[in-house]
Amino acid sequence: MSEPKKSEFSVIGKPVALVDSAGKSTGQGKYADDLSAPGMLIGKILHSHLPHALIKKIDASRALALEGVVTVVIGKDAPNTYGILPVGHDETALAVGKVRYVGDNVACVVAESESIAEAALELIDVEYEPLPAWFDPEDSMKSQSNFIHEQRPNNIEKDYHHVFGDPDAGFAVADVVLEGRYIANEVTHAAMEPHCTLAAFEFDSQTGREGRLTVQSSTQVPYYLQHKLSIVLDMPMSQIRVIKPLVGGGFGGKSEIIPLEIIAAVAARKAKAPVKITYTREEVFLAHRGRPRTIIDLKTGVKKDGSITAVAAKVIQDGGAYCSYGVVTILYSGALLGALYDIPNIKYDGFRVLTNKPACGAMRGHGTVNVRFAFESQLDELAGKINMDPVSIRRKNLLKPPCITVNGLRVQSYGLPECIDVVARESKWAERRTKLGKGRGLGMACSHYVSGAASSIIRSDMPHSTVNIKIDRDGGVIVYTGASDIGQGSDTMVAQIAAEVLGCKMNRIKVVAADTDLTPVDIGSYSSRVTFMNGNATMRAAEDIKKRIVAAAAKKLACAPEDVLMRDNIVYKRGVEPVESKSILQKVLGTSPSDKAPTVSGHVEGQILRGSVQQKRKDEGPKERMSFEEAVTSAMDNTGALSGTGSYAPPVEAKGGKHKGGGVGPSPAYSYSAQVADVSVDEETGEVTVHKIWAAHDCGRALNPVSVEGQVIGSVWMGLGQALQEEFVWKDGLLMNPTMLEYKSPSSTESPEIECFIVESIDPEGPFGAKEASEGSLAAAIPAVANAIYDAVGVRMRESPFTPERVLAAIRAKNGQKKIEMTNRVDPTAPHKLREHGGSLWFKGRGPQRHADDPSRKTTAEPVAGD
Amino acid sequence: MSLPTFKLLRPRTVEEAVGMLHRYQDEIQICAGGTDLIPSMKQRLFSPKYLMDIRGIEGLERIRVTPGLGVELGALTTLTAVEDSGFIHKHYPVLHEAVKTVASPILRNMGTMGGNICLDTRCLWYNQSLQWRKSCGFCIKKDGDLCHVAPGGKKCWAAFSADTPAALLCLSAEVNIASPSGFRRVAIADLYTNDGVNRIKIAKNEMITSIYLPESSAGYSGAYKKLRIRGSIDYPLAGVAVALKRKGNIVEDAKVAITGVNPAPHLVPDALHALAGREVNEHSAMVVGELASRVAKPLTTSLLTPEYRREMVRVFTKRAVMAAAGAEFSI
Repeated sequence: MSEPKKSEFSVIGKPVALVDSAGKSTGQGKYADDLSAPGMLIGKILHSHLPHALIKKIDASRALALEGVVTVVIGKDAPNTYGILPVGHDETALAVGKVRYVGDNVACVVAESESIAEAALELIDVEYEPLPAWFDPEDSMKSQSNFIHEQRPNNIEKDYHHVFGDPDAGFAVADVVLEGRYIANEVTHAAMEPHCTLAAFEFDSQTGREGRLTVQSSTQVPYYLQHKLSIVLDMPMSQIRVIKPLVGGGFGGKSEIIPLEIIAAVAARKAKAPVKITYTREEVFLAHRGRPRTIIDLKTGVKKDGSITAVAAKVIQDGGAYCSYGVVTILYSGALLGALYDIPNIKYDGFRVLTNKPACGAMRGHGTVNVRFAFESQLDELAGKINMDPVSIRRKNLLKPPCITVNGLRVQSYGLPECIDVVARESKWAERRTKLGKGRGLGMACSHYVSGAASSIIRSDMPHSTVNIKIDRDGGVIVYTGASDIGQGSDTMVAQIAAEVLGCKMNRIKVVAADTDLTPVDIGSYSSRVTFMNGNATMRAAEDIKKRIVAAAAKKLACAPEDVLMRDNIVYKRGVEPVESKSILQKVLGTSPSDKAPTVSGHVEGQILRGSVQQKRKDEGPKERMSFEEAVTSAMDNTGALSGTGSYAPPVEAKGGKHKGGGVGPSPAYSYSAQVADVSVDEETGEVTVHKIWAAHDCGRALNPVSVEGQVIGSVWMGLGQALQEEFVWKDGLLMNPTMLEYKSPSSTESPEIECFIVESIDPEGPFGAKEASEGSLAAAIPAVANAIYDAVGVRMRESPFTPERVLAAIRAKNGQKKIEMTNRVDPTAPHKLREHGGSLWFKGRGPQRHADDPSRKTTAEPVAGD
Repeated sequence: MSLPTFKLLRPRTVEEAVGMLHRYQDEIQICAGGTDLIPSMKQRLFSPKYLMDIRGIEGLERIRVTPGLGVELGALTTLTAVEDSGFIHKHYPVLHEAVKTVASPILRNMGTMGGNICLDTRCLWYNQSLQWRKSCGFCIKKDGDLCHVAPGGKKCWAAFSADTPAALLCLSAEVNIASPSGFRRVAIADLYTNDGVNRIKIAKNEMITSIYLPESSAGYSGAYKKLRIRGSIDYPLAGVAVALKRKGNIVEDAKVAITGVNPAPHLVPDALHALAGREVNEHSAMVVGELASRVAKPLTTSLLTPEYRREMVRVFTKRAVMAAAGAEFSI
């Protein structure tokens, strides 16, 4: 198919309202927690209050005696292990024998109401034997005993050591080499909707045995959920139906199986009744799966002309107590050092480490964000050393696509140069940068992201997406897609692509999505794969079904199938003007049509009667154009019911190198982003105010520009949260801020203007040339702000977030002013270790139950300031 | 998270309310706006047997000006009503400034003046769920005998975290307290104990019915500066209120109060001494900042370090003094 000009599209490239927006904005839409089932019970989970301990005994008899309690579920009710990655099956529905973090799942009470279930939690007696716990990844890596998982010696989940090119030679020819340690603290998704799952079995009325299971859950990955449920419950997947209702945001936090999803199903089986579990906000924080605290030791070499000669990165991720997506995260961190700039030599050492804290997983910008912060900060510093402008050094190191990077990533479309040009121009970088005055500065940074992984985590050759389409007799189009709309707009994307290919209006399309009984398999909404992969599958399904319509229409139009065109509900012969649908329809139908699917006269109780529109059409002779509906009817006359299918599997050329771990990083296409931040720094308070962000994002073709803008702005905003105020604060394995009050997601008052520029490098393999739009812009926001802070006040922030106390401490140190200990002994310009909260868990042997070797018991509480 | 079970009482008069308080002393909790209480009840910080919703009492939601005496704010007057009052804005600007920083607009629609004055003290180790508090060991403020911010200490250092009382201190406000034996008036300055547990000197059978702003405090220029991470929603991690009376540019009277750092709001002693009889300038403002930071005793009750909060009391006080004098601070 030759590349159509943009103006040739009728739906693609138009700012279309999301198809589910009316239900969401009126409250009619149903999220998981809005659902209920007859006889439904409520589940509440008992969480561990110890970071690492053996479970000696669980006695639920007092809880079971409470009126209204139906059952209590514990680990041995479903001991099979699971995990999102085949290499990381280390979770069980509820703890079996051992708890691994404060918040680990110990038991679940099933009761008639939430308050009864909560009261019963207090009546479960658990006897623990505390074990020493590990909270700092660098300490944890040195462990010799009491491993968090027996099969993971030294608490190292996975380590990778990659060398591409000749890094030593690269550093040898560099004119300037910089090394530094960067720390990015832990952040979480904080999606608006807390997780919720409703699980219900069908029970045989004769035997009472459980039959099919239906699970409705807030998930990004219904098919993975179906698979893991089948493992834990020992049931065939065909007996499990997973339905995704509306989801109120995921950002990666629902991209794997979250404990409550499994627990609800196990509880429903034991209680013999439907069970719903909804997490409290605190439980959402404890389920976590967010971005790990990452220690990055980075070394970069450049020549005087700015060209990068080599990069070496050692990355340690504080992964928490379970593998989750950890192996993938640590690989992304290394792999995506490539594919943004032209780097000839790369050395990467990545360590994913287990600690006794909630498991980290995938979060928007998975794996790339923290390393990108370090890299873009160091690149700025190098530019300073060689007296080069930060924009120029980035332009100097551009890739020359199509190409394959030194670490095996294939890059075809590459809009980064234009992204840099746009933000430099729009921010008036060159003119303004030196004239901003005291305390104000500009910073620039770039980032990129995959449009889905070329190799899926399920280790299968199955296509990553399949889409079916059925067309009804009155021209209604139903698209069955496994893609999970989690608010990002995939249902709308699917409808747009189907409408464009089929040449019908959007309102003919109904999308049935993410229901494992109805929709063909799709591996889920993560790694920004949906538009690219499910979009391509939708396109192919639509083309498949279109062939049949075109064949039938060709006969009617008395022309070759190649000369049949379809657009805006009209099917017409090439060379004929597609007259406005209204007059055509009037001619064909003899009725006044509306924009909705036209009414078919004679349609009674599902039957088509004589004298109906179909009969009329059959009687008519050759013509130049016809309605979509008529073409569909003709096709059905030929072949019966109309259905089409299409699927997408990434091409082998995009699957990357053969090295160990080489499957993570390769993608059929990469998005690109460049950003400029304009900030002020209050030198007396350390407060950073972002005035504006200019963000340019290369998304291939913007299928729906308003949706792309929303995603880019959302990404930048989320990045600003991590840059300035969001972080998990820890004290000896206790999460100090598991509330939306203390976890500081930005409020509207400190959210600056973000001006988005869409750059369209039409990708040769994306659907209509589209690539990802939802993640690639997050990472650049953090270093853009860090670089702007440096430009404003001359302090290099190497630990995120850049909170007022950290920035003030850095300014004070730089100016040689009176030193005030504001950062718990962690210098934010040269961070070396975990900054813990300053309070104290223990004092002279007094404190909560802990093992004698627990870190909290070793440190003696110091006298506190202020009194 | 569900609310604990309680019986809801809805008195129609102050007398009826005080009667209920008297009858159920240890088992009752007053609920006005509920913006702070309801989440705390879900966290099981309070599980009262009776919850007394006082919003049905007539006459407690009003702003009444009596020439010669001053202004009476009913205890149920919402923070939004105070914020929107042109009279308060004009004559008591420090209160206007403080009230508009409380939480967020939606919460101010529900939150009341009386509730803000009676706000529970806050600590990162206390304002947590039952499950969380179990994990770290119960503290002296609730259910236990540990203190995580002053290990080994016997006193609770939870920070008094309401914004408006700092302004009310600067205005020499008084509160009217109803009890079974009648009414008594207490200066705001005498209301707080500086103990995080028993933070306020109101007996279990008493309740605040109104707040008086004396006429003598009207016309003071004022400013309120608040340290917080977000521009909305957050409680103060430090707050400074300043009220100045000047003749020309010369300061005749000055009041400076801090909140959000100690278990009580405090007037800064000697602030007047530093400012009286001269023009406000950066130097004198800095001196007052220094005095204020000496009053501040922040501990590890928040996510920010005590050192930073104390330092910000200094900076914010300087800025508030300058702002109250109509002078822009320079960075």
